[in-house]
Amino acid sequence: MAERGSTGGQSNVGCAPADDGTHDGDSEYGSSDGGRTRRRADTDAGAPRPDPPALAVDGISKSFGDGDDAVVAVDDVSFAVDRGSVVGLLGPNGAGKTTLIKSILGTVVPDSGTVRLFGVDATSDRRAAYADIDAMLEGARNDYWRLTVRENLRYFATIGGVDPDSVAARHDRLLDRLGLAEKADTPVRELSRGMKQKVSLASVLAGGAKLVFLDEPTLGLDVESSRTLRRELRRLADEDDLTVVLSSHDMDVVEAVCDRVIVVADGRILADDAVSALLSRASADVVEVASPDFEERSLAALDERFEVRSVTPAETGGRTRIEVAAGGDELYALMDHLREAGVTIDDIRTRRPDLEDVFVDMTETETEHTGASDAARRQR
Amino acid sequence: MSPTDPDRHTDGRTDEAPGASTAPETPRRATYYHLVRAVLYREFLIFVRYPANAVGGVVVSVFFFALLFYGGRLLAGEALADSIEGIVVGYFLWTLSVGAYSSVSNDIASEVQWGTLERHVTTPFGFAPVALLKGVAKVVRTFLLSTVILAVMLLVTGTTLSLDPITIVVVAGLSITSVLGLGFAAGGVTVLYKRIGNWLNLLQFGFVVLVSAPVFDAPWTRVLPLAHGSALLQRAMVDGVRLWEFTPFDLGLLVAVSVGYLAVGYLVFQYATRRARRLGVLGDY
Repeated sequence: MAERGSTGGQSNVGCAPADDGTHDGDSEYGSSDGGRTRRRADTDAGAPRPDPPALAVDGISKSFGDGDDAVVAVDDVSFAVDRGSVVGLLGPNGAGKTTLIKSILGTVVPDSGTVRLFGVDATSDRRAAYADIDAMLEGARNDYWRLTVRENLRYFATIGGVDPDSVAARHDRLLDRLGLAEKADTPVRELSRGMKQKVSLASVLAGGAKLVFLDEPTLGLDVESSRTLRRELRRLADEDDLTVVLSSHDMDVVEAVCDRVIVVADGRILADDAVSALLSRASADVVEVASPDFEERSLAALDERFEVRSVTPAETGGRTRIEVAAGGDELYALMDHLREAGVTIDDIRTRRPDLEDVFVDMTETETEHTGASDAARRQR
Repeated sequence: MSPTDPDRHTDGRTDEAPGASTAPETPRRATYYHLVRAVLYREFLIFVRYPANAVGGVVVSVFFFALLFYGGRLLAGEALADSIEGIVVGYFLWTLSVGAYSSVSNDIASEVQWGTLERHVTTPFGFAPVALLKGVAKVVRTFLLSTVILAVMLLVTGTTLSLDPITIVVVAGLSITSVLGLGFAAGGVTVLYKRIGNWLNLLQFGFVVLVSAPVFDAPWTRVLPLAHGSALLQRAMVDGVRLWEFTPFDLGLLVAVSVGYLAVGYLVFQYATRRARRLGVLGDY
């Protein structure tokens, strides 16, 4: 199966156009969130949806510590995830992604807010609410290394509320697809790291969970294993109607797998949109120029006039490489500027912005914003 | 694998296969019966697959008893021979207690570290019944190991004891149930304060005091864990008193003490995990 492009903005063909506004938490349910409308629109356009969303989070907040030392990890977050969609949680370290996931799971008790799983309130009826939910948390083993792969699947199916005999065929299929069939009767401790990660995922899916949370699922995997994992996630969502909430630092994974991305920083939602919509938000294409002629003055002049993204200084006798955000007419202006400055161009290429650019843009803006308000506060 | 897999032969493409209309897979709900089976089977697998821990524990226990016995005979001579039966029974109960206590508290610590405790919390059953069932499995396992130790002790010392299985299992089992409660409490404290776990292991040496508590001189010690049970076990194994020959008061107290400590320990564990969820430290280690 072909993976969807990891660069370029067209990976999400058919997505509903999404608005460009930054959602700030509340009133999220009915608003556009790109990917989640896609699947339904194909089949019953316009008809009211009888099914409640797989996940509805309303006003979740969580802080740690008291008084002045209190740290707000999650700050009034609301969103909904439709069945069969894959939603990525993006955010810098310490943005509150893991706390948010754990608050939804109930392994962290939120200070306020409600969580509904397939329409069932998590606090009022835990057993029913978590019947179809499972999670793979970052950095944990998540399963028993002294048991074999299949024993793990059977065990976690049982505690997940499913008689393992009744899903034995499903387990075989799962092992087949994840390339674990040959290792089914091998103790997990004897497997490679990538295999262990796949066993962890398999055990999460073993009980027939319909909504799974994956915290950094590709962390520490090699390229090949990461690809298999992505492909499987996408397939499970498309064919088995699995709903996935995935947090990752790996933009390629998010871009390849997710219908929709929620960007979190400082415990708040910065953006909540379809991947394609987020990509189209990127200010402009990026031009990479390499030349031996760049020196301090010409670079300063360039920085004043254009949006220079990065400068990679020349190694001895080599050339300096710069990245400039310049799309459309700006590109002509850039070329004119370089000619006037007497810069010989050794190499030039343009790059479509990827999710990483958008993400860096967004979180930088946020930092500048809070930085500015901090400064303003200090002056007062 | 099992006869309930009608579509196993269709190499994982049953969903689309036109001929696979027969009996599509319908997941059945797992009941507490399935849960009991899964947890006990898991404990059994680990026990038989990794015997090194168990064998090591038995060897260490026997070694210390031999030290105690031969060393004691050198020092105390005949005086020891008079009380050797009591020492054997006490040592037997002590190995049972240590086994139950440390396996439960260490097990909880491991589950926290592996992230599996956290995972149990989000299942429909929760971790509580799983922890209790594991406790039962640990007690059974400990009984098997301590029986081996007891047999070796009897051979080494050449003593004879009254070995009525029903009496021993009931009295010793109820005695260490109270220790199981302490194990849960210790496990709960470890969930909250990760580093304390190792220190709590030292508690097991305190069990020596409880096993040999002076219940006749200081009757109040009977409400401590192990003490009353230890006294009853001595009477059962040394004097040959059968289970039904104990007074209802003695048996009632035995049950009350064991259930009481188990309940308290379990509540401490529950409280600790709930607090850890509020503090957000359940999965940290």
